[in-house]
Amino acid sequence: MTTLWSRLALLVVLLWTLLPIYWFLKISLLTPDEIARFPPPLYPLEPTPAAFLNIFGFDYTLADGTVRRGSGQAVQILRGLGNSLIVSFVVTIVTLVVVVPLAYVFARLEFRHKNTLLFAILLAVALPPVSTLIPFYAMYIQLGLAGTLSGLILVTLTITIPFVTWMLIGYFRNLPPIERLARIDGYSRFETFLYIVAPLGRSGIAVAAVIAFLFAWNEYTYALVLVNGTSANTLPTAISGFLFQHPEPSHLAASLALSILPPALVAFFLQRHIAEMNLVDPVR
Amino acid sequence: MRRGVLVTASALALGILASNAQAQMELEATTDQPIYFRGWQYKTDIVQDNVNRYNKEMAGHIDYATVTGDYPAIMEQNLMAGAELDVLYANPSQAGRYFDGGWIMPAEQLGNIDEIKADMYPNILDAWTYKDQLLGLSYFVSTRGVMHVNLKMYDELGYTDADFPKNWDELYAQVYEIRDKGVEQPLLPHWLNEWYGISWAFVFEVMNRGGTLADPETHEPMLTTDENGQAYKTLAAWKGLWNDGMVPEEVLTYNESSYIDAYASGRYVFSPQQLYDLETFNRPDRSQIAGHASLLPYQGQSWGLLDSAMYLMTSREREDPVTEDVKRFTNWYGYKDQDGKVYVGNRWMQESMLFSGYKSVMESPEAAERMKSALARPEDVKAVLEVYANTPYPKGVWSVVWAEEFNSWLKETLQNFLLEDGDIVETIEAINEQIASLNEKYGI
Amino acid sequence: MQRRLAELSNLQFSLLLALPVLVFLLLVVAYPLGYALWMSLHQIVFFGGYRASFVGLDNFLEVLASDDFWWSAWVTLRFTVQSVVLAMAIGLCLALTLNRPMRLAGLVRTIVILPWCVSLYGTGVMFSYLAKGQTGLGTAIAYAFGADEAVNLVNRDWVIEVLAVGNAWNMAPLVAFFLLANMKTIPSRLYDLAAIDRMSRFETFRHVTLPPLRFTLFVFTCITTVLSMKLFDFIFVLSGGGPGTTSATLTYQIYKESFKDLDLGYGAAMSFFLLAMILASTLILYFTWGRREAHRA
Repeated sequence: MTTLWSRLALLVVLLWTLLPIYWFLKISLLTPDEIARFPPPLYPLEPTPAAFLNIFGFDYTLADGTVRRGSGQAVQILRGLGNSLIVSFVVTIVTLVVVVPLAYVFARLEFRHKNTLLFAILLAVALPPVSTLIPFYAMYIQLGLAGTLSGLILVTLTITIPFVTWMLIGYFRNLPPIERLARIDGYSRFETFLYIVAPLGRSGIAVAAVIAFLFAWNEYTYALVLVNGTSANTLPTAISGFLFQHPEPSHLAASLALSILPPALVAFFLQRHIAEMNLVDPVR
Repeated sequence: MRRGVLVTASALALGILASNAQAQMELEATTDQPIYFRGWQYKTDIVQDNVNRYNKEMAGHIDYATVTGDYPAIMEQNLMAGAELDVLYANPSQAGRYFDGGWIMPAEQLGNIDEIKADMYPNILDAWTYKDQLLGLSYFVSTRGVMHVNLKMYDELGYTDADFPKNWDELYAQVYEIRDKGVEQPLLPHWLNEWYGISWAFVFEVMNRGGTLADPETHEPMLTTDENGQAYKTLAAWKGLWNDGMVPEEVLTYNESSYIDAYASGRYVFSPQQLYDLETFNRPDRSQIAGHASLLPYQGQSWGLLDSAMYLMTSREREDPVTEDVKRFTNWYGYKDQDGKVYVGNRWMQESMLFSGYKSVMESPEAAERMKSALARPEDVKAVLEVYANTPYPKGVWSVVWAEEFNSWLKETLQNFLLEDGDIVETIEAINEQIASLNEKYGI
Repeated sequence: MQRRLAELSNLQFSLLLALPVLVFLLLVVAYPLGYALWMSLHQIVFFGGYRASFVGLDNFLEVLASDDFWWSAWVTLRFTVQSVVLAMAIGLCLALTLNRPMRLAGLVRTIVILPWCVSLYGTGVMFSYLAKGQTGLGTAIAYAFGADEAVNLVNRDWVIEVLAVGNAWNMAPLVAFFLLANMKTIPSRLYDLAAIDRMSRFETFRHVTLPPLRFTLFVFTCITTVLSMKLFDFIFVLSGGGPGTTSATLTYQIYKESFKDLDLGYGAAMSFFLLAMILASTLILYFTWGRREAHRA
């Protein structure tokens, strides 16, 4: 009985997660005339890999002889892919290095002005990008950072650092209070952090890395204004042009599929760390 | 005698060589500074190819990239901030706005401007001239709002060419007739959610019917609330269609891609679309109605309005030689190349059936061939050219600094008119009031 | 003993770790805020020569008097509440399902995190495709059962719900993973004890699983609230604020004012109201819920 319910639950979860993705990505396997068909097809009747080849710049000849031309966006897509990878990795590493100690400190230690600083972080998280776009843009033009990867990395850090800090604070608070034990054993605060708390908090840190990577990977609003149309263009903005004027929905779907892969891989490699933390008795 | 001929011939030859050489020199880049060219996302591989040709043959250093998303808004940000931008695309109404912001250098400053103007169609030249200056060179011209007709369904319903409606009133009458024959939603109206969507639909329907929203010179509001007035009849027809459930509500959220796909699915009999999309709808790998996509011909009433884009040069801080390079590139790209042909313009015609503002492109035999191959039936070629020749341009509301602001206000007002079942007279009066207050705001 | 004396006080230690970050944050928070404040106190015009004239609080008063602002505020509230409730509930269900031992656990977990890997732009495209009558799932199923009418959910009645579901779909994995990480730190001993006590599954959930999650649930309610209120790209892509202005949240309104109408002062003033709304929601949540949790921990 239990297994039946859990199997059912699992099925519902998978369906809920995959249905919207499937429904849109199925059009990456169709030609535009099939996509325009009404009523919309439940599954691709005549799938073709044309779109995937097109977005990398290759032509593809269909069975009936028509040629699906390589997309003019291929160069931008590839460049966007590369730039997104660079930005995401750098942002993730910097965020972790900076945020993990910071979150620990806020979660476990008491000190004056703690609430003020917490509020400052909250304020940083609460700022809507729509409002800060223009000031950032003006500042970047002045500093010559517009259209550069470093500029984009900086801006993305302003999103990931406060956010991941906030999330990790909650997580670190929940860890069992073993500092006292460590202190009794004579560890300094720093050593406590490095040798005892960090390993214990591994799963939270792994999740934080995934979050930072995904935020950086999916950053669209700032990228749209700051690096659009330059050599520092990232993948989300490169993709977003497919719906404009000369629409190519199959290319959009194929590029979206492409854009999901790297974060999915990162998530796959990091999610293991959550499972391996099976805390039975933290005191040991 | 012979010597004389020889001398004359060689003098002529030298003269031709010299003038060619001169033409070449006038278009070749002089410095090695990069020129920044930013376009929106349309056939970017072709643009890149053109740019590569210039870079190779004219020693250019053009840095071309595509800007995705809300192109006008992003370009405006760039212009305001004085970013690295030298050449860009713009619709005429945006161009006027940029000019008033002091951000662009009008095409008047080019050396061969008189030759360019002579090659342009007068109505297009008029549309692109703002405060007596020609702002940019021809990228493309098209009629947006041409009434496409799905011949597959049309024939099935028992109609023939002789039944083609001559004007909007006849069209609506026929739409209701078709509904009574069993097709629930025969018309896909131009009410999409882009800046060129529902607001343009109102503007062109009013113009097609013979009216105008604002005076072309003084920009005074000109709509009347008379029941037989063009605005009244337009809004009344829209209200009727909407309240009778003959238009799918989701049209109001469509972007261009959904709009094209919806008509390409073959569900609708009529739809106002872009002129060059006749080519799209007739391609078998792109639409379900390939070979059956035609248009309503000009039978006394125009359809749609003149949609166009230009190449503009910015007036940002540059050294003089660099600005000279910008002018040369724009000249080459926007008009004739070193061989004296309108290279880019002709190429757009061949690639996508994009019309040009230049007579030398439109009246060439290659253009005629191209059109024939893209359309469903040979008689459509004549129909296309006639509709195009009679397409109106809303100078009153577009050749003015508040054009964009008014456009987005109009979009929301019209959407609300439909959704909230607004009052026709009140809406017309609100439009007039808005135009008047914008005039006041900008001191016109 | 000696070691302890040589150590830094708590404050100094924290500051040492936190200082560079705080300086960085200060710059990137203070500068845009300051600039936005300056803009909101001026009326900025670009055409006919750039002019910025000081108008004091006029922009703020204009915002308060504008019907559009109040309508957008209401839309934002409605959208946020629906998104947060859905995201938290679904996140909890996802976490509970993932907490069981199963084969191919890694693969399943990766699949569950996929919605979060899809950018908000992508989510917008996917859900617009899913919900519109012309291309949607509803239409496909309806026609498969013989109906002949399209099923469109992107209309005035349902568009906000569609947006909330899409947003929740995207955010739920985030919530789920943090809850899962927390659940994994619950000693399995406690479950054994609960089994011995013959607790029902629901009671086990309430008394063993839920308590350690409470604080995380609070934190993530705040996070999802803030994220939903800040959201722009998703709404822009899916519905463009429409049909009409049905789904015009405050961020969309600010975008329109600042970027399309170039009324920068007015847009900046409106964003301060949005900021106030976000901070107020977080503080309310903290004072009604978070404080109790913080004391309990």
